[in-house]
Amino acid sequence: MLNTLIEAFRLISTWEVIVAMFAASVYGLVIGSLPGLSATMATALLVPVTFYLSPIAAIATIVAASSMAIFSGDIPGALLRIPGTPASAAYADEAYAMTMKGEAELALGAGVWFSAVGGIAGVVSLMALAPPLAEIALSFSTFEYFWLALLGLMCATLVARSSPVKAIAGMFIGLLVSCIGIENPGGVPRFTFGLTDLLGGIEPIPALVGVFAVAQVMRAMLTPEPPPIPRRKFGSIMAGQWTLTKKYHWQMTRGNIIGIIIGVLPGAGADMAAWVSYAMSKRFSKEPEKFGTGHVEGLVEAGASNNASIASGWVPSLLFGIPGDTIAAIAIGVLYMKGLNPGPTLFTEKASSMYAIYLMFIIANILMIPLGIAMIRIAAYVLRAPRSTVMPVIMLCCAVGSFAIGNNMFGVVTVAAFGVIGYVMEANGYPVAAMVLGIVMGTMVEQAFVTSLIKSDGSILPFFERPVAAILAAMAIGALLWPVMLWIWRKVKPAQTTSAAAAR
Amino acid sequence: MRLPDSVTGSFLVVLGAAAAYGGWRLPPVPGQPVGPNVFPLVIGTGLALCGLAIVFGIGHSFEEEEELIPVEEGQARAAPTGRFYGLRALLPPALLLFYVVAADRLGFIITAALIVLATSTALGAKWKLALPLAALAPIGIHLIFAKLLRVPLPAGLLPMPW
Repeated sequence: MLNTLIEAFRLISTWEVIVAMFAASVYGLVIGSLPGLSATMATALLVPVTFYLSPIAAIATIVAASSMAIFSGDIPGALLRIPGTPASAAYADEAYAMTMKGEAELALGAGVWFSAVGGIAGVVSLMALAPPLAEIALSFSTFEYFWLALLGLMCATLVARSSPVKAIAGMFIGLLVSCIGIENPGGVPRFTFGLTDLLGGIEPIPALVGVFAVAQVMRAMLTPEPPPIPRRKFGSIMAGQWTLTKKYHWQMTRGNIIGIIIGVLPGAGADMAAWVSYAMSKRFSKEPEKFGTGHVEGLVEAGASNNASIASGWVPSLLFGIPGDTIAAIAIGVLYMKGLNPGPTLFTEKASSMYAIYLMFIIANILMIPLGIAMIRIAAYVLRAPRSTVMPVIMLCCAVGSFAIGNNMFGVVTVAAFGVIGYVMEANGYPVAAMVLGIVMGTMVEQAFVTSLIKSDGSILPFFERPVAAILAAMAIGALLWPVMLWIWRKVKPAQTTSAAAAR
Repeated sequence: MRLPDSVTGSFLVVLGAAAAYGGWRLPPVPGQPVGPNVFPLVIGTGLALCGLAIVFGIGHSFEEEEELIPVEEGQARAAPTGRFYGLRALLPPALLLFYVVAADRLGFIITAALIVLATSTALGAKWKLALPLAALAPIGIHLIFAKLLRVPLPAGLLPMPW
């Protein structure tokens, strides 16, 4: 254990890792703070750069950029009432109300401090949960993997803030995309329409860049420019945070726990964690009437929650290759590319790399405090950059980055196509995150499904025979039928639901 | 681009049916009960069923709740200023396709400059801002990707000295 830890320290204490981590942190802070550019987009645009880094440095950039971007989304939320990332949208109104009351320092300080604390709580959960789960996972056969993957896909659709039917449809579209190519049980070209470019299938990363970056540029074409940020001088940012920690320690802990649980659920990321925690904070607060008027309590809980979910989202990713959220989906792609194939054996065969990932998370969250404070101080300058200068650069990065993934122009075509698909889906209420998970997990689901069917000689029964498989199957089928039951319930008691919704 | 649910649902029914048919036509693996055809069949059927459910408005009641959540920045639409205003959204993917077609002939710098110029002016930048940006941004990106990361970017008509 100690030897592994020393080895992990040695892995991360190279210049390459240190520089990569610092640069990615600054990059993540800047992208996260620009309204409309999400943490997922920041991470997706980083992928081409990670090709040219060592495995540990590549993971370091993903870890640092995603953690920083989730925090820095709070900055324009507090100063402009425009959340930088969707995860900050839950409490942007509250933070802005505090700014209006002259408490901008306290709101932003709470953002940076409780984000860092939440992030570290998330790493602790990753360290505590992953090894025992890996033990269990080692005894899994393809039957369990099939149900687990299906359960992951179903969770992703359940938690989407949209119609569950549309979310399931989004997931199927993703699975259909993953069918393209010759990587299938028969090794025959499938849905390639005679195009050689499609033989290798659709790579998840260009699809992600298209869905999250190009679609965002497309939306920017039709939406008005956000107002410029007013210049202001900030006082001490960390003042009063210790008092808040003592006063709201229970809220902070609850936020951390909710964040960890939501992070572990496949498909539900920081956005969901922030929304749920903020609602929870208001529900259980002793002074709920203060919410919305510039009250820091909800900020503490939601800020702690969204960063906690980032690290815990890596638990299912590292163990099973099932992404906890879209950022983890990108991380899985990078892990595969770097030969650190996700799976329980990662913990036994590449233990030092695992410890290195834990350490990098901790360092990123500590680094968040000084860098976050610096970012808050210079935010006025960064946020004044007009969208018409940022978006063209994003476009260039999309083009060059997608080309760099395979050194071929087909990547650029893929990015453009998925930009349109993502834009149309989002505009019509189909959650794109469900599609992304479908693309990432499709091959795995099919492999587990077909291998299991071959093993069982075409019989369905063995899918339910092993005890763990039976439990997972019950959960997956329950998740599939849950929207149907809810729908029937609502049809039966429409009046009751309407009044409940009104009360919320 | 907001289409009625009946249109998107019908599209999904057609897509699902096509996928199932395409999967069904794939050759099976001899001596094996399941082949490459099973998964597309399952997905196609599922997709078609979802499409039908969407056409009939099942699950639609869940969407109304979304209105309770405050809209994010960027989602509040400006009033459209013309019939073809919505088509502006297609500019970014069109520019990416332009990159595919033109990059090898014109070279990275010139193609990228044209893309930057088009995007920034479409987003309302003045010439005073758009022209220097179009001149500098491609050089900066070239420096990072071609020089530092060794991505082979086409030189074309305007090769960079490094």
